[in-house]
Amino acid sequence: MTQIKKFFPYLVSVLAAFLVVGVLLWALGFNPIKAYQTILFTSFRTPNGFVQTLLKWIPLTLTALAFTVPLSSGKFNIGAEGQMLVGAIGATAVGILFKDLPPALLLPLVILAGMLAGSFWGLIAAWLLYQFNINEILSTVLLNFISFALVDFVATGPWRDPAAGHPTTIPIGANGFLPVLVKNPPLHSGIILAVIVAIAVYIFTSKTTSGYELLVTGANPRASKVHGIDTRKMFLFSLVIGAAVAGLAGVIEAAGTHHRLIEGLHSNFPTLGLIIGLMARGKNQAVPFVAFFISILEVGGSAMQRTIMVPVQIVLIAEALILIFILLSDIIKRRQK
Amino acid sequence: MEQENVLQMQQVNKSFDRVVALCNVDFELKPKEILGLLGGNGAGKTTLMNILYGLYRADSGTILLKGQPVTIHSPRDAIRQGIGMVHQHFLQINNYTVLENIILGSKVSHPLSANYQVEEAAIKELCKRFGLEIDLSARVETLPMGTRQKVEILKALYRGVNILILDEPTTNLIPQEVDSLFETLKIMVREGLSIVFITHKLREVLSICDRITVLREGKNVVSLTRKEASDEALVRAMVGDKMDLEKSVMFTSHEDSATVAGSQEVLSLEGVSLISQHKIQQLTDISFSIGSGEIFGVAGVAGNGQRELAEVVMGVQPVTSGKINFNGQEITTHSTKERIAEGFVYVPEDRLSDGFLNKASVAHNLILGYHNLEPYSKKGIINWKNVHENSRKMINEYNIKTTGPDEIGGNLSGGNIQRVMIARAFSQPSRLMVAHNPTRGLDIPSMDFVYQKLLGNSATGTAILLLSEDLDELLLICNRIAVMYRGKVVGILPREKFEKYEIGRLMSGYEQKSK
Repeated sequence: MTQIKKFFPYLVSVLAAFLVVGVLLWALGFNPIKAYQTILFTSFRTPNGFVQTLLKWIPLTLTALAFTVPLSSGKFNIGAEGQMLVGAIGATAVGILFKDLPPALLLPLVILAGMLAGSFWGLIAAWLLYQFNINEILSTVLLNFISFALVDFVATGPWRDPAAGHPTTIPIGANGFLPVLVKNPPLHSGIILAVIVAIAVYIFTSKTTSGYELLVTGANPRASKVHGIDTRKMFLFSLVIGAAVAGLAGVIEAAGTHHRLIEGLHSNFPTLGLIIGLMARGKNQAVPFVAFFISILEVGGSAMQRTIMVPVQIVLIAEALILIFILLSDIIKRRQK
Repeated sequence: MEQENVLQMQQVNKSFDRVVALCNVDFELKPKEILGLLGGNGAGKTTLMNILYGLYRADSGTILLKGQPVTIHSPRDAIRQGIGMVHQHFLQINNYTVLENIILGSKVSHPLSANYQVEEAAIKELCKRFGLEIDLSARVETLPMGTRQKVEILKALYRGVNILILDEPTTNLIPQEVDSLFETLKIMVREGLSIVFITHKLREVLSICDRITVLREGKNVVSLTRKEASDEALVRAMVGDKMDLEKSVMFTSHEDSATVAGSQEVLSLEGVSLISQHKIQQLTDISFSIGSGEIFGVAGVAGNGQRELAEVVMGVQPVTSGKINFNGQEITTHSTKERIAEGFVYVPEDRLSDGFLNKASVAHNLILGYHNLEPYSKKGIINWKNVHENSRKMINEYNIKTTGPDEIGGNLSGGNIQRVMIARAFSQPSRLMVAHNPTRGLDIPSMDFVYQKLLGNSATGTAILLLSEDLDELLLICNRIAVMYRGKVVGILPREKFEKYEIGRLMSGYEQKSK
């Protein structure tokens, strides 16, 4: 009963958002019923649709966790974008430099290098916070801009692929590719990494003392400090972990999907990751499920554009409205008290 | 002789959410009397008076002023009807003068200039009439608490009230200031006012009030004149039938409630000073030691360095200079975490900011600080089964009103939050306890329970540093009392030399008499 009560505001928010978008579609001269059928069922109609959904789910889950893990300690990591890109750079660099190593060595190296590079990008902001108390929201956002330039530098430098018309590097060694799980339609093993990370985050936050310290620091940093928890270390630690997870998202896009670094490989995943993190209200364990729902909308949205010519931006509007309605339901709940 | 009531409240009801704060309460005030409104925390005293003053709206009930029904929707209405209130926390602007604070918000004769001669003359007249000696040109932040309170009273008098409500007026006052306040109140009733005096302190009621109304759990219990009232009857009325008075610390006047302190030194401070980030000297050269089983009290007007002292002892703030020793070993540089592992426990003063997690569950709250210790965790893994079992035990033993260990802390009331903090601290085996205002917000049986626990802990050899603004509390259970003034310890008195007025004199900053 209480479970149903808990989900009720979410259900209402989703329905309300769909209703508003439905009216919009109808006003634009489209058939809303048909549009929603496409959005909601594309993922489950064909194997290809389902694999596409899973492939979206991987970076969405990871970038959302990159936001919610630091949020557990009360810190806002808005830099998943930069951390993901720098992670992809690290993975690509190792994949190109050591392209002749055997897979048993190269693959772990590629993954490790990407995660380290991503966490280094987070560490810059975390250290500025630790040492000089510089607001992490500002520093993580600003580091995003530097990362764009860094990608350009790498993708147009010595590793440039002269055949490509877009800033792109040459491919990494084939031994560094993430192994393919299913051949047709192709699904790479990044999904295993994402599932492991999601489970590890859940176990860490709910079963360990460090995870407990992370959550109570977020609940009340002052009281946590008074009771012996080194909250500044917690801030640092959570930002670096979040950045490593974002770095992993970059690794998977580089070594799993594109097999190289491409400018713009982050797509809109980090932004959607923020939205997913907020929809999950910062709850790490809810992130994978919300991310799956958003993946369905994303895949359905592009199918809708192809089949009935509805612009894909409609789905973005729907996602934004869902978030707004969820936030509104908070205010309504507070008013009722 | 039956006098007509100046004020009558009939069948007042008020609930917050599901909590019933007042249930069919009747209240009456006669002309020229001081009425004591007595009860423990959560009895509904302040709620009832806030309704009268227009801060809350009653769910039902009527207010009659001199027999005429009135509606009061705001403090402005209340003042217009001649009702004034002095809150526990003064609503004053620190860097304004007394005069400016008093006339703030009222009409002035020359609205376009800063010429307040007319107002000043009127206020001086009031001061003379009521025997209040206040320098009107002093800035209020420079005044002691007792004087600031008189400014607040003067503010109400200036607005022409004839009923004045005082909410726990003696909380932050030293005994000398309490005496002077009582003198003022007597003059005020002689001049025709009626006064409601809200308090939970029995002795004050018996020494000043003409009549006493007791509330308990939002209901009328009894109204007595001073002649009819006895200590025993009032205590019973306040605490109800459930409390065992024989076992109580507060009401059994054993000459020696405090246990005999052991000789072994547990904690010692040597010349501890603290200068804040903003270069403010917060503690100056503090030295004392506490023996095993000793309850060492720290008295002082709030804000004289008590909080900083507690935090320095707990390692929340590093000292600027000086040494802290624990069981003969220097621990000056140990972190809070290390000190907790060594057997320190802390009940912080500001429960909402320093002690409690609103956004986490009751169970999360009950293990805060001790989550690294067995049985709560082992090798970094939390044993939630043990945590829940222990939480349920604490909820029962400490009478915490909650749906269970998983309820979100923010749903708890202030008194229950305090119980969580008490449960957390006392359920932990400890060698040194730092407790800062541990009974704030608790009803009388719970306060007494805390005293029993403190004495129980000291009997097992725990050294206790008890910082409190409630002097009666310190006098009741401490072995020694240190008095703090502006970050210094200005005197340490052993139990046989406890004397209220002497402590009050030290609290107000006079140097100790040369002997």
